[in-house]
Amino acid sequence: MAEKELAPGPRIQFAVVEEILNLCRANSLWPMTFGLACCAIEMMAAGASRFDLDRFGAGVFRPSPRQSDLMIVAGTIAKKMAPTIVTLWEQMPAPKWCIAMGNCAISGGPFEYDGQYAIVPGADLIVPVDVYVPGCPPRPEGLIQGFLALEDLITKGEKRNVLRRFKRRIVKGR
Amino acid sequence: MSLEDLKEELSKVVEPANIRSRQHEKDGFFLEVEAKAKEVEALAKAALEADCFLESITAADFTEGVQIIYQFNSFSSVSRTLVRVQLARDESVPTISSIYDAALWYEREVFDLYGIRFDNHPDLRRILLPEDADFHPLLKDYGKVHAFRSTEEIYGE
Amino acid sequence: MANEFLEPITEQTFYLNMGPQHPSTHGVLRLFLKLDGEYIVEADPIIGYGHRGHEKMAESHLYEQFLPNSSRMDYLAGLIFNHGYVAAVEKMAGIAVPPRAEYIRVICAELNRISSHLLWFGTYIMDLGGFTPFLYCFDDRENILDILDRVSGSRLTYSYCRFGGVARDLDDEFIESTRKFIDRLRSRWNDYHNLVTKNVIFIHRAKDVGVINRELALRFGCTGPILRAAGVAYDIRRAEPYSIYSEFDFEIPTGTTGDALDRYMVRLQEMEQSLRIVEQALDKLPEGPFRAAVPHKVRPPKGDYYFAVESARGALGYYIVSDGTSYPYRLKARVPSYGNLQVLTDVLPGTLVADTISILGSIDIVVPEVDR
Repeated sequence: MAEKELAPGPRIQFAVVEEILNLCRANSLWPMTFGLACCAIEMMAAGASRFDLDRFGAGVFRPSPRQSDLMIVAGTIAKKMAPTIVTLWEQMPAPKWCIAMGNCAISGGPFEYDGQYAIVPGADLIVPVDVYVPGCPPRPEGLIQGFLALEDLITKGEKRNVLRRFKRRIVKGR
Repeated sequence: MSLEDLKEELSKVVEPANIRSRQHEKDGFFLEVEAKAKEVEALAKAALEADCFLESITAADFTEGVQIIYQFNSFSSVSRTLVRVQLARDESVPTISSIYDAALWYEREVFDLYGIRFDNHPDLRRILLPEDADFHPLLKDYGKVHAFRSTEEIYGE
Repeated sequence: MANEFLEPITEQTFYLNMGPQHPSTHGVLRLFLKLDGEYIVEADPIIGYGHRGHEKMAESHLYEQFLPNSSRMDYLAGLIFNHGYVAAVEKMAGIAVPPRAEYIRVICAELNRISSHLLWFGTYIMDLGGFTPFLYCFDDRENILDILDRVSGSRLTYSYCRFGGVARDLDDEFIESTRKFIDRLRSRWNDYHNLVTKNVIFIHRAKDVGVINRELALRFGCTGPILRAAGVAYDIRRAEPYSIYSEFDFEIPTGTTGDALDRYMVRLQEMEQSLRIVEQALDKLPEGPFRAAVPHKVRPPKGDYYFAVESARGALGYYIVSDGTSYPYRLKARVPSYGNLQVLTDVLPGTLVADTISILGSIDIVVPEVDR
């Protein structure tokens, strides 16, 4: 039975094996160090000791696209940089995911105005984005929430992620 | 070198009438010099003799043409000097990169953003925009600006 | 030339691209290197991968609307860039700032300088291969970010200064946590010196590497810790005192040879001097209003103005041409990293590729500030 994959995946799929593989992929995402501007610092802070990303399995930032499976577009995309981003995305092996971090990567942020010449207003114009994390810059907790949302996307639901040992509580009305 | 000595050195290159004192407390400059394009190299040599460094080269677009603004300053005593060169449209300026290495990148930036050519620059290519861009963004007839004025309107009495 | 130029041993040189995506280039910098084996023959830094058009934005936005931009040019020293911008416009328009606001601005700017140097310290040692100090530095830095977050609402890109003062007043909790932080950081210097400064590997990688002397700094217009490590005690806070820096007692640390180790020591000592300034400012903090009443849209008189401040990386200046309306006619930010980065074209040839990382890290650039 072929399940609908949200990211490019293998052609032959076995249901239970696929679920186990998704569990492993979700809990050991290896991000690529791809800071473009201010959001890069919050990404580094998310990987540092206070907001530890290592506890989610995502602490190993790989510089090379060939060794990573998550691209976090953190920062404004200048028009000169756009071809490089596409090249890097294509160099990453499948399955791969992309998080657009910060307002600039979502829709141009504070630099998008009528008549601007310098930036590409949004990462989803050049690469397929899975999770959007808003903020200017988003707090590291926000980036972690983006990671958790991506993990839920990969395992198709928080309940199925049996390796997660805590339950997220979204308290309404706060 | 004191401010008076600097003023004397510069008046050997340009006419003394074009050198004005400014009030540093009000606007950050001590001296202002109005120069022509061909006097720029001699001015830069005089500034180097006076142990000044090149703080920045920038430009501003007015209706009569682009105005290039050089800023020199010194480490030992603040003596910030502004050198203004008003160009006509399509006029070019000699480079001062043989005197100050810092000018290599500053002049490339002015070329990139305004389209001003610097004669004898060893490597005049775009620096901030992509190599194949075909526009000069900071000119006032490109994109969205609030006003396009002449130097008379801003600096005239 | 700062280094002896190494004659290529072979005729076979090749081109190597370092960046724009590289873990140690501190942003999107591309170094186009011509190599002969491991030695660099020519180096060409290529910038522009972070060009966002700040200066063009200024020409169609109000003075007030440019304030968030100023913080995003150099996001590590965002408060200092803010401070410089509002002080420039206040000088142009003749707005007087109440004394309490000046003290608040100085305290926050010096805390920002310390956090910028701490981040530089962590990433520099991480580039050289030591991962541990990075975690310690970020831990200390989180303290500062919490303090500034409490008063300004933002951790990184503050827009805390306003024309005529600051946006919000300090409270007792701010003062108490700042004092605790000063004591805590002072107790950390021993840790940093024992971990890093006395480390033989670090000394081998930083001593006599990337010598930038006074003559080179003059030709390229380098300012900031690079210049001070070369022996020139040029600091805008002393040379052209702005705000209330003339009331504080602090030293300008300098080096002797201008190598990477000197730049490292200068920055560590600068952090201690910033702590002294913050302490003195907290002791002398006056009561009073934190913001003066200013018109809704600021309208400076016609003419051109320049205002310089000392950023964490060197001399920052805003050159503003005003046409009398509430929109700037031309706004240029003279950023310190522009001259500091260009010196690489002269310092790198003759060095090893591994030294490039050390030199680039010790110069401390932030690429979006170069690209604006």
